[in-house]
Amino acid sequence: MRLTVSDEQRALRDSVRRFLADRAPLARVRELMETPDGLDRAVWHQAGDQLGLQGIAIPEEYGGAGFTFAEQAIVLEELGAALYGGPYLASAVLAATALLASDDEAARRELLPGIASGQTVATLAFTEDDGSWAPEAIRLAASGDADIWVLDGHKSFVLDGHTADLILVVARAGPGLSLFAVPAGANGLTRRGLPTLDQTRKLARLEFGSVPARRIAGDGAAVLARTLDVAAVAQAAEQLGGAQRALDMAVAYAKTREQFGRPIGSFQAVKHRCADLLLEVESLRSAVSYAAAAVAEDSAEIPVVSALVAACASDVYFHVAAENIQIHGGIGFTWEHEAHLYFKRAKASELFLGDASYHREHLAERIGV
Amino acid sequence: MDLDLGPEIARFRAGLRDWIAQQAPDGLASLADWNMAPTGGGYRSSDVVDAMDEPAYADWERRLAAARLICPQWPEEHGGQGLDAVRLAVLNEEFYRAGVPRVYRGMGEALVGPSVLVHGTPEQRAHFLPRIVSGEDVYCQGFSEPGHGSDLAGVETRGVVDGDEIAVTGQKVWTSGASRANMMFALVRTDPDVEKHAGLSYVLIPFTGPGVEYRPIRQMSGADEFCEDFLDGVRAPLFNVIGGLGNGWRVAMTTLGHERGGMATVQHLGYEREFWELVDTARKYGRDTDPLVRQQLAWAYTGVQLMRFSGLRTLAEVAEGRAPGPEASVAKLFWSEYHKRLGEIAVSIVGADALLRPEGPGYPTTAWQNVFLASRAGTIYSGTSEIQRNIIGERALGLPKGPR
Repeated sequence: MRLTVSDEQRALRDSVRRFLADRAPLARVRELMETPDGLDRAVWHQAGDQLGLQGIAIPEEYGGAGFTFAEQAIVLEELGAALYGGPYLASAVLAATALLASDDEAARRELLPGIASGQTVATLAFTEDDGSWAPEAIRLAASGDADIWVLDGHKSFVLDGHTADLILVVARAGPGLSLFAVPAGANGLTRRGLPTLDQTRKLARLEFGSVPARRIAGDGAAVLARTLDVAAVAQAAEQLGGAQRALDMAVAYAKTREQFGRPIGSFQAVKHRCADLLLEVESLRSAVSYAAAAVAEDSAEIPVVSALVAACASDVYFHVAAENIQIHGGIGFTWEHEAHLYFKRAKASELFLGDASYHREHLAERIGV
Repeated sequence: MDLDLGPEIARFRAGLRDWIAQQAPDGLASLADWNMAPTGGGYRSSDVVDAMDEPAYADWERRLAAARLICPQWPEEHGGQGLDAVRLAVLNEEFYRAGVPRVYRGMGEALVGPSVLVHGTPEQRAHFLPRIVSGEDVYCQGFSEPGHGSDLAGVETRGVVDGDEIAVTGQKVWTSGASRANMMFALVRTDPDVEKHAGLSYVLIPFTGPGVEYRPIRQMSGADEFCEDFLDGVRAPLFNVIGGLGNGWRVAMTTLGHERGGMATVQHLGYEREFWELVDTARKYGRDTDPLVRQQLAWAYTGVQLMRFSGLRTLAEVAEGRAPGPEASVAKLFWSEYHKRLGEIAVSIVGADALLRPEGPGYPTTAWQNVFLASRAGTIYSGTSEIQRNIIGERALGLPKGPR
């Protein structure tokens, strides 16, 4: 297992950071967050064509670059730091992982190359109106047989569900769950973007009225479990990036903002908050490094470390983002300042895929308590 | 998952594992819970102290000494093997894995040795270091005073130079292991007329004989591990001043963050064991199905694993030769605050039974009561949490110093 950042990984981080600063700076994030789909397709395609970001962890045989999840975690960290609003988590993580975890070689060969290049934006639809992240809550029904399947029901809280070209749907087929592929233009599919607390992260509600679908071979429950574990680690990497950026903002401000004739960061009331935040961010960095290595090595520890890092990342990011506003004082409460964008992303990331308590209960269960 | 530290380290680990298997006396591992967290302020430490009187321990100590496995991180010329931080960490891991004691030379190994190695003359290194390795000199710490805890540089104990000797007079406090020590490393004021940091000297004082008195201080846990010490004209040769007169602050600060990486991958192990004992306790009291208790247990497990992940990352970075960061302060702040919270959770899981202590004279406590009480010291000794946050804020984040 490797826990340090190699020179190649550092170069990758630098190039992603430069790309985002140039093509997706916060000013652009603000413009896009006011649009319904929040996506600048030109930048998305450049990320694929020039940097190969969407396919970084997809094996070469499926059109990807064949690096490991450790490299993808670095990309995710930078995307989280920049509050990038495009469908990376939806397409390059949720959809790609679900296909890779399936038993359907033909579907992988057909669908993954588009996801890897960025030509296809894909997502995974599993949550429904009750907002439960648990597989047991899935009601959307699939009926049919070997070749012809139709889906009836609805999905909600679908990440980038209204912009995706390809939707992978987890549905109840007989006694168990199965994964289905539905193209965006399928007959009977209605999609609606939802107004979100975090405007940089788009969610959609999808209605399925006898929508024809292709069944992806494999045990849907196992595919979903694996995908959610990996996605939780991926999101934790994003959360780490956001938390680090929010901490950097708070510390930079504490060094320059003067009150009572001295920088506020010289007062222990502020300094000690910053020190506690550093401890939390550094702990999270260690946890994300370990969890990313676990996914990269396909370790048996994935279910445990995924639940652990998901809870940890949610607590840490929200705490840092909240303290960042407090340390900035009045300016931190304005629309104009970036602090609220990180604060909203922190809460949205915490609630998406289940909050910290939900993951801690999983953790207790998975370690045998 | 384990770190890949390369084939050379793997061979070192295998060799050590074989050596321990061949050399460890029968029954040694079962004499005591040698590797319980040393940070609870005394939790179970009396078992360990008793076990150290057993013949198997003395036998083990002799074998370790012969193999240069006491203070093995020190240079060969001073009795060690010159182990780097990665090998020291591997050694600690293997000793923990085998359940055998490391045979530490306490503060002599952890604090005095590094200061003497960095600031001592060749003559001082040759004199003081082998006596620590052999166990002949056992040190206690003379830093804090009744009026000077966090503001350590303000110490008032006087050191008066008289010919080729220094005479030390004053009061020190929070000294652990005073009854086992024959030497004290102390920070004393040798020049009261200069800026406070500049007037200090670091001196190794004989802690026996006339002029030395100490009294145990009973702690809130009922234990009396710490002492207050009264020094009245205690004399030491000037040879015992390390780093020269007036240089004591720098010498005393040497050890801040000096020990980097050696304990990084084992310090969570005692807490991990303690965590599973708490799970057993929760089951015994039927609390393991309570959703709130499950949240608390998951929180505690997360804390232990974060210590483990951070330790692995620190070691991986040390192995690649990266510059030291604020890990020591971050780690200390983390485990001490963690352990206080764990103690609170533990007594709440036990519930009404935690209202009652075991029968007996004095103030005997259950293990969880002891964790609850003794852990309060962890965020105070060795630099309070507030001091650690100052260090992290100023050294790691570069925040400006405040009024002192």
